[in-house]
Amino acid sequence: MSVNAWLKSHRPLAGAALKRTIGLGVGQGLLAIAQAWFLALILNAVIFEGAGLTEIGHLMAVLLGLFLMRGLIVWLGERSAFQAAALVRTGLRDQVFRHLQRLGPRYLANERSGALVEMLTKGIDDLEGYYARFLPAMTLTMILPVVILVVVFPADWVAGAVMLVTAPLIPLFMILIGSSAQSKNQRQWKELARMSSHFLDVIQGLTTLKLFGASRSEADEVARISNAYRSSTMQVLRVAFLSSAVLEFFAAIGIAIIAVFVGFRLYGLVMPLPEWLMALPEITYLQGLFILMLAPEFYAPLRNMGTQYHARMAAAAAAEQMILVLDAEPEPRSAPDANAPDRAASGHASLRAARPFGLRFQDVHFSYEAGRDALRGMDFEVPAGAWVALVGTSGAGKTTVINLLLGFLSPTSGRILIGDQALADLDLEEWRSHLAWVPQQPRLFQGTIGDNIRLGRPDADLESVRAAARRARAADFIEALPAGYDNLVGERGAGLSGGQIQRIALARAFLRNAPLVILDEATANLDPESERLVQEGIEELAKGRTLLVVAHRLATVRRADRILVLESGRVAESGTHETLSASNGIYARMIAAYGHAAPAQVDPWNPEREDDR
Amino acid sequence: MKELLRLWSLFRPYRGWMIAGTLIALLTLIANVALMALAGWFITAMAVAGVAGVAINYFAPAALIRLSAVMRTAGRYAERLINHEATFRLIAELRVWFYRHLEPLAPARLQQYHSGDLLSRIRADIDALDNLYVRVLVPVAVAAISAVLFFVFLLLHDPLLALSGLAFLLIAGVVLPVWSQGRGQAPGRRLAEDEAELRAAVIDGVQSMAELTVYGANARQAERVDALGRRLIADQARLSSDHGITQAGVGLSASLSLWVLLWLAIPMVHDGTLMPPQLAMLALFTLASFEAVAPLPQAFQLLGRTLAAARRIFAIVDTDPPVVEPTTPSPRPERFDIRFNGVGFSYPGAATPAVADIDLEVPEGTRAAVVGATGSGKSTLFNLLLRFWEPDAGEISIGGHSITNFRGDDLRTHIAVVSQQTYLFDTTIRENLQIAAPAATQEAIEAACRVAQIHDFISELPDGYGTWVGETGVRLSGGQARRIAVARALLKDAPILLLDEPTEGLDAETERSLMQALDRLMVGRTVLLITHRPAGLDWVDRVLVLDNGREVARGDSNVIPEATQGALLRDAAGAVA
Repeated sequence: MSVNAWLKSHRPLAGAALKRTIGLGVGQGLLAIAQAWFLALILNAVIFEGAGLTEIGHLMAVLLGLFLMRGLIVWLGERSAFQAAALVRTGLRDQVFRHLQRLGPRYLANERSGALVEMLTKGIDDLEGYYARFLPAMTLTMILPVVILVVVFPADWVAGAVMLVTAPLIPLFMILIGSSAQSKNQRQWKELARMSSHFLDVIQGLTTLKLFGASRSEADEVARISNAYRSSTMQVLRVAFLSSAVLEFFAAIGIAIIAVFVGFRLYGLVMPLPEWLMALPEITYLQGLFILMLAPEFYAPLRNMGTQYHARMAAAAAAEQMILVLDAEPEPRSAPDANAPDRAASGHASLRAARPFGLRFQDVHFSYEAGRDALRGMDFEVPAGAWVALVGTSGAGKTTVINLLLGFLSPTSGRILIGDQALADLDLEEWRSHLAWVPQQPRLFQGTIGDNIRLGRPDADLESVRAAARRARAADFIEALPAGYDNLVGERGAGLSGGQIQRIALARAFLRNAPLVILDEATANLDPESERLVQEGIEELAKGRTLLVVAHRLATVRRADRILVLESGRVAESGTHETLSASNGIYARMIAAYGHAAPAQVDPWNPEREDDR
Repeated sequence: MKELLRLWSLFRPYRGWMIAGTLIALLTLIANVALMALAGWFITAMAVAGVAGVAINYFAPAALIRLSAVMRTAGRYAERLINHEATFRLIAELRVWFYRHLEPLAPARLQQYHSGDLLSRIRADIDALDNLYVRVLVPVAVAAISAVLFFVFLLLHDPLLALSGLAFLLIAGVVLPVWSQGRGQAPGRRLAEDEAELRAAVIDGVQSMAELTVYGANARQAERVDALGRRLIADQARLSSDHGITQAGVGLSASLSLWVLLWLAIPMVHDGTLMPPQLAMLALFTLASFEAVAPLPQAFQLLGRTLAAARRIFAIVDTDPPVVEPTTPSPRPERFDIRFNGVGFSYPGAATPAVADIDLEVPEGTRAAVVGATGSGKSTLFNLLLRFWEPDAGEISIGGHSITNFRGDDLRTHIAVVSQQTYLFDTTIRENLQIAAPAATQEAIEAACRVAQIHDFISELPDGYGTWVGETGVRLSGGQARRIAVARALLKDAPILLLDEPTEGLDAETERSLMQALDRLMVGRTVLLITHRPAGLDWVDRVLVLDNGREVARGDSNVIPEATQGALLRDAAGAVA
């Protein structure tokens, strides 16, 4: 859909407010005509009929009434214009943001947050120009000049003809000049998005820049990008100013020609026209003054549309980005050749399996880009209520397996079964409500620590939050903070250590009380003692739940019911710690490697654990 | 008011531009008013002359009308170009100025701000200042000067007309702006804050979408964004409605001014003290003169937003950096030993010190480890050594020079850091590596990546080192990001190496090869490691064990088990209880 068609298609959102705005605009135009008429009557009476205040008192009263009505209409018109755009803007901001959510993390990996932020703030604001200004201006252009022509022609066809001939010049030049503006507007928008994404990147990475002594020289980059934005803005404005100057010039020329035609005839001069062409009609002062005062009103809607044409361009540039987002489709949920029998159920079924449920990967293949397979025939089963660990070198496919389970990715081929249902058939939102997940680098949100723990259960009471925090060994440091669970934490848990953020994320997973718990390096960043305690918490949690754990530190998975060793996108070995370490395979080598680099198995804090190996 | 004066002082370098802009704007306005007034006079005079059959010089006024029309058009174009060019140049400079004040505050003073909030300041708040320059300063000057001229012009005809004209101009140009400024203050302040919050909410919603999705919190985040958007629009609606009132008010003032003028002037025409063409001229003049004050109410209404923006900008600019930079040149140390001498430090507002009485000496070329549980104060030592914070007590020195004698940037050229949280910029892998050494050749980069065990992975990517890593490295796993950080540190090639859990989150095999790589990296450098994992520290020369910010033991790695067990178990007991 073209940008223009897209913008128009959202017009119904503006609804009655837009119609009211146009109606009020027409009303104001009619009042202007009436005002010019009465003013002309008054001046004519005073100048040519020697009338005094007593004779024209009633006209003055009418004029006063017209003034007041016009003021009221201006106010109401401004309000309803704003409202028309506000309805569209509110609707679209919500629509675009929710669509981004549907597109999910995989889509966002290729997008820049700074640009998305601009789109949802300034981009949405820029739409106002289209719905509140341009659309009403365009409609009024088609109404008011016609009305004025209808009034002027009977009074003086010469002035009417001048208007009729000069009027089309205005939109014509507007389009001529404006045609170069579209690409300039797009460039300005790109520079803005680039500037915002760059600033956000710099702000979020300022400490890293400082560590490398690059933060000061970054000021030059800030200057360069700001100047690029400035020059692209000025390019847009230069076109806008030039076109409005040209429009103004044509309007002034039109008015001047009319003034000359009116004035010369009033004075009785011969018009500089060949006599054989036509004899110009006589004109009275009243008619002349009325027409002269109407002339600016005739050109005003045309000029206004010329001005608002630039509001339309700014809106179009912003809209273009929104269309890109809205046109993007979420990745299809299932592989085209998936052999599920009932396609109708696809994507809407709710989970039938009773908790805890098991799951199974059947010959699952996945590639992020063609030719580079991340998973090649992943085949494994996680029995209901079991604790299964995924180990393997980075790049073996552990995180891909998890992203598939979370529904962020879909298999290229093969099936994932939850109980006896294909994951592809399940309603994702419903499916995710059965999950708790701790990612490798958990994020905290602006808000209180309590809110952060409540992320998956907003209605949880403080007691359950505390219990989850205790289990994640987070209660201690949280309760030592001045405001405890009400302590505000910044973005990414500013002010907290990596280990503390990790434990808050764990508490979040514990509170979720989900039948399937997925932990990706959940105990990274913890000191050995905390790790052991958190591990106890996890094992407690594992009772009656299915637990899938990715681990680098093999010590943390020794007690798992089953260990899957992944290599190159396949399950290379599986078994318990005992069988695997005795089998002289990859796992046994990994154990040996660990032993060489860091004797993690020899836990200096806890010699008994060494014994139970 | 204080903010206004400060903003004005920022504009000083552009005073010349502004004076030129004001003069041209004034000429434009006068041309416009003259055009209308002359046109009214002209046709009336022509009609009167036509009726009376007297001769009239119509060439001079007709020429004047043409001149005014051209001047008006050209003047407006020139005035807009000059004023916008000056303003946007200033705004581009203000962004750099703001950044230069922001940079020294990181990371210590910026923790309390969301990145969306800071983004809003450097982007939207600085942009909001254009209102002051484009819509307030120049138009106020133009309005003030032209109001005087208009008054004098009317005074030439009649004092009463002059007084009434001035009164209505004052209503539109002073009363309405003052009213709308008062009404715009609270919404303007809220707009600045809500815009920042909306940016923060969008950033949270986008950058943390995976967690929000899995925890079913997406809908709530969308509602939050929607609610903030609605709040913004509600305030904008208030401003828009007020704007409608003042717009109507200006129009009404102009109309009433005309009405009163007619009321006063018609008897004058009647008794012959005013010529008929003058009446038409004064009528149109009156209507046109209000163009001088028409933009003022909205400009003053937006002043609330502008001043709120200014306050938000000055709040950052006025924050004292946590560390005072020396005025003398930084020393050039000849050796790179590190010494902590009785160092103590508390974070602002914290009840207990983060570290206290820390003594530690790391001779040049040796390796030391600081071991302690999460939250024991290890990272604080790094923050102090890097001059992100200033110690409350004691002294840290490098090569015998107190680090307070170093400018922060100079100090940090001697130090390479591999930290717990790696930030990767939204650019290519190559450029992320080149941050450490902008001039590094491809060979040097590859060599560093080989040592860091990441070269094979990178060269298997379709775009190799030109691969876009994506924001905050979303396309790389934690372990891969960590190894890029190690390569970065290698490229920096600094005599002091700070390691913060360099192998956390790596699988055993990678960890082992990385440790071998680090082993090579560490040769000849002074190394300080902080870790909560006391195993396998036989390669360090000395160990300091911290508990709650205080030393509990020191020695070689043999002291660790005994020293820390008690402390940590006591801690853990507390945690379970």
